[in-house]
Amino acid sequence: MGETFGGYSIIGKPIPRVDARAKVTGEAKYAADIEVANMLWGYVKRSPYPHARILNIDTSKAERLPGVKAVITGKDFGGFKWGWSGPTRDEEPLAVKKVRYLYEGVAAVAAVDEDTASEACDLIEVEYEPLPGVFTPFEAMQEGAPLVHEDRPGNICVEYHWNFGDVDKAFAESYLIREDTFQTPRMAKGYLEPPAVVSYWPDSNHVVYIGAKGSPYFPYRILARCFNLPLSNVRIIAPTIGSDFGGTKNDMTPADFSAVMLAKKSGRPVKIVTTQFDALTTDLRRHPMWITMKTGVTKDGILTAIHTKIISDGGAYTRMSPLSNFLTGICMGLPYHLPAFKHDVVCYFTNNPSSAAMRGHGIYHTAFARECQMDMIAEELGIDRMEIRLRNVIKNPKPGTIYETINKVHVATAGTEECLKKVYDAVKWEKSEKADGYKAYGTGYATGTYLSGTNLSAHNACAAIVRICEDGSVNYLTGATDVGQGSDTILCAIVAEVLGIGLEDVDIKRVDSAFTPVDPGSYGSRVTVLAGHAAINAAQDAKRQLLEVAAQQFGVKPEDVEIKNKQVFVKSNPERNTSWERLVRTACYEAPGKVIIGRGYSTKGGVSHTLADFSKGVGDIGTNYSFTAQASEVEVDVETGVVKCTDNNVIAHDCGFPLNIQAVETQVQGGAYHQGVSAALYEEFKMDKGQTINANLIDYKRPRANEAPMSKVIHVVTNDPYGPFGAKEASEGSVCSAPPAMINAIYNATGVWIKNLPAQPEKVFWALKAKKEEKKGKKKK
Amino acid sequence: MIADFEYFAPKTVKEAVSLLSQYKDAKIIAGGQSLLVVLKQRLFTPEYLIDIKGISALDYINYEEGSGLRIGALTPHRAIEKSPVIRKYFPVLSEMESNVATIQTRNWGTIGGNLCHGDPAGDPAPVFTALNAKLKLVSLGGERIISVEEFSKDYLEVALEPGEILAEIQVPTPPPRTGTGYEKLMVMKGDMGIIGAAVSITLSEGDGVCKDARIVLGSAASVPLRVKEAEKVLIGKTINEGLLTKAGEIASREADPPSDVHGSAEYRREMVKVFVRRVARIALERAKEA
Amino acid sequence: MKGELKELKLTINGKLYEFKVKPKTLLVDLLRQELKLTGTKIGCLDSACGACTVHIDGKAVRSCSVLALQANGRKVTTIEGVADGDKLHPIQQTMIDHGAIECGFCTSGMVMSAKALLDENPHPTREEVREAIQGNLCADEGYVKYIEAIEIAAEKMRGGQ
Repeated sequence: MGETFGGYSIIGKPIPRVDARAKVTGEAKYAADIEVANMLWGYVKRSPYPHARILNIDTSKAERLPGVKAVITGKDFGGFKWGWSGPTRDEEPLAVKKVRYLYEGVAAVAAVDEDTASEACDLIEVEYEPLPGVFTPFEAMQEGAPLVHEDRPGNICVEYHWNFGDVDKAFAESYLIREDTFQTPRMAKGYLEPPAVVSYWPDSNHVVYIGAKGSPYFPYRILARCFNLPLSNVRIIAPTIGSDFGGTKNDMTPADFSAVMLAKKSGRPVKIVTTQFDALTTDLRRHPMWITMKTGVTKDGILTAIHTKIISDGGAYTRMSPLSNFLTGICMGLPYHLPAFKHDVVCYFTNNPSSAAMRGHGIYHTAFARECQMDMIAEELGIDRMEIRLRNVIKNPKPGTIYETINKVHVATAGTEECLKKVYDAVKWEKSEKADGYKAYGTGYATGTYLSGTNLSAHNACAAIVRICEDGSVNYLTGATDVGQGSDTILCAIVAEVLGIGLEDVDIKRVDSAFTPVDPGSYGSRVTVLAGHAAINAAQDAKRQLLEVAAQQFGVKPEDVEIKNKQVFVKSNPERNTSWERLVRTACYEAPGKVIIGRGYSTKGGVSHTLADFSKGVGDIGTNYSFTAQASEVEVDVETGVVKCTDNNVIAHDCGFPLNIQAVETQVQGGAYHQGVSAALYEEFKMDKGQTINANLIDYKRPRANEAPMSKVIHVVTNDPYGPFGAKEASEGSVCSAPPAMINAIYNATGVWIKNLPAQPEKVFWALKAKKEEKKGKKKK
Repeated sequence: MIADFEYFAPKTVKEAVSLLSQYKDAKIIAGGQSLLVVLKQRLFTPEYLIDIKGISALDYINYEEGSGLRIGALTPHRAIEKSPVIRKYFPVLSEMESNVATIQTRNWGTIGGNLCHGDPAGDPAPVFTALNAKLKLVSLGGERIISVEEFSKDYLEVALEPGEILAEIQVPTPPPRTGTGYEKLMVMKGDMGIIGAAVSITLSEGDGVCKDARIVLGSAASVPLRVKEAEKVLIGKTINEGLLTKAGEIASREADPPSDVHGSAEYRREMVKVFVRRVARIALERAKEA
Repeated sequence: MKGELKELKLTINGKLYEFKVKPKTLLVDLLRQELKLTGTKIGCLDSACGACTVHIDGKAVRSCSVLALQANGRKVTTIEGVADGDKLHPIQQTMIDHGAIECGFCTSGMVMSAKALLDENPHPTREEVREAIQGNLCADEGYVKYIEAIEIAAEKMRGGQ
């Protein structure tokens, strides 16, 4: 703490967030807080069946209810279908002929208040023909199983089969081979803010959508297609957003489409506020996956090959399952040397709510399996578990060199080794076994990695505009969206750093697609890297224009002038100077007067980066990659199975260069020790034939302040050449390292492996009991 | 969304019970911490709601050495948790309250509301039963006293006659050399217990033999369950570790716990063994020090 | 009569208000919809998340689980009533300075719970700080910086640095 990096004026230090004051006073407006004049309230009617044909919908009674201004059904959308990408458009805004998951939207009402809208929905009569459903991939894959989509045989949503190196030969030559099956459960994204939307049509050709979207340019394109409007007529405005973690707030919901259509039909603004129940029963969730990993090693514990077979549950619609399942394998070659690997993943449709991206997307599942196996293998070979990782880890490439994995992923910086060593030194674990009555203590390590600055094919463009106002204040326009991760702050900081002015001089304009440039959105840990690049370029463009003016003033060349701490001076003779404000005034007002606008867009990684190929499993899915090493200590009550994380928890994180130290720390603590621990110990949707049984925040367990470990974050700096100021993403990798670190710690404490998350008390209890019986059985012999 | 209802806010007990006798189907709301969740989900749409939260006369904690503790039914959980008198003379009540949900809930929710909700997972009922407490129920017709043990009839059903409200909880001063403990199995602090055990042990003055034992389980049946067979294991004996374990096993057999999202019946039975043993041990230590 | 409007008089952030409300109106809806005090948030339906935390007579309560009419004659404080004009309360300023705030949705509730603690107990232990915000769910930062910020704010309020 108290450390800073890089010697910069603003970045590389703790930077208080630019939006914190509005949030701490209650002034910040989230979607549900927004009101417009003449507004109606909307409500979505949802299916009571997980799988059923819609035979008839009668809206007449609803339409007659006083106070109702518009009623819509799926038919109002004229056959429109949408999806995450062109080939995956299989979903309707409101179901027309068939519903495929419980509570799928079938109709919606706009009325003068929420009570009336809800009552009207009750009056809509829908005739269903319930159909048999499939609720796990194992049911879905059966011969003759009911089809979720009639045109998708075998209920297969997406599958990949990749093969690198000679895996069979590698196994044949391995000293030891281990095969284990792990399971990651269905998990809620976990945002506290239930999504809300306000929409209105200023005229019949222009629509305004204000909603909690982390990637506002998704609805921008989707609504343009849906309502047959040119993109420039679709105005998406981003309010303050209460986090996302990569899912529903990227994508569309029935409420989104309904609000826009109801506003069109009624001629008035419509607001729909969903509830946490809606979020927990219908919003996108992490894919449940069954991961069978077969790993070969030499006698010294060096990896020879890995063959991973995954079955995943994609839910009712495709959404971004192609990406989610691709991501499970693309980074197999990180963070350890892997000479050969095979990856077979099949994702099935089921009659459950759709699965999609969640923080740690894809890599999360295989990282869990692999990091647990590292400990298992270490034990079998009698090698220290830290040592085995150090033996396999990819060493940080020397500056100017690139490491290439077997499947052509290129990495310029990889700080895992330093992370492992620092974590090992920092964590205070006694060598002797700790036990206290019925409490056992254990420790576990795990590494994590995550892609940063995602480059997906189709639509990667990301731009920024820096407007220098005549009084020296700076107006920054970006399409990047802050969902709570702190991107607004870091982009302002980058602009201020480049221009040589103060953070307080830069004012960021939240996304308004009428004015802000396009940006893919807040997913794939891309904002800092790619929007950061755009920020640097735009600021440099504006600076260049100002330096030209200064140069003329001082009679020197532009490269001879510098701006720092709002002072503009000649480098070789700093006594020749002027203030920032003066320079700007001169530039703007001295005849004929200039308008200083800086433009910049992101430039991808250099020559060595190629677009990822999903079918082959090769290519640079990221611009660069973050690396973590995590140490977790747990306390296990061996009589009840309750596991708690102690305060003795340390994580070392290589994000290239921590632009905002505070934000990196909270993000990493949140990823590794909140979401990560939560995934390891507490969270799981319990389903029963498509119904979410624990759809409330009491039964769906999330840890709170009492359970939170006061973890420490160690910064590892590798200065990545492809990141703005050397930065890479922060914290998504920490979500990946957490569950295995916890499971490894539980094994260390108790000798039991919990291979299917979460390690809830009852599960741990039975595992401990089984182990006891096993020991007794052995003793008797 | 909550359905509309007709609303009354009596200021005195007399007003409240008159309203209750007038509107037979009326539902009472105190702190509303249990009721409002149910109303929001529309599991329940009462036509009449009688809001007794404003009856300040029922918010009190009185203690007298001879007669013991008297707690008004509308005393918030937080007041019980922090009461110096309760911390001194009935510390188990304060401990129990400190794990009832979270501070916000404890500030507004009332002890009476909790007891009348009749949830076998509730914390107060097992502890009051272990403490041999009684309840004063008041109606237009007068008042009656019943034991807390008799108050629970079934899952979410309590022995309130039509027209009756709970007015007071009476906890007798424990006999000398009595110790009481309560613990529940929580995943997160403040959770409803997956299983809970309240144990009160009274030792004989001279030889330290167990004179009386009261063991009450939460979340182990449709009501807070007094496991009398388990108690018999301890009564009349000099309690040792072996007997504590045996009591736990017998209690486990007496229990009839549910299976739900938080735990299976089998797991709960196993946890009964653990918690009866642990809590009885605590009660024993406290009895020895008393 | 069902839903018949009832009179309600209460003080909110130091100002006296009079309303006529439907009995089923929750305090949180009164604040957000009648008074447009949207700083208090709704995050769940289960009295679980704490985003709706306000003070009634100085005590932290979930405004989603209190009928507006139950606040009759009482003093309610919301997040909007914490700062002194433009001057932030030490708890608020510390949360900003320490980097505790991320998406901010839980923040109002955290401030209210923390303030209720420090108004009553200027010397809280770490355990007491954890307990004070145990009823406030945060999805982002894992509570560490909130806990630290509250401890730092407590010290500031006691006159320390």
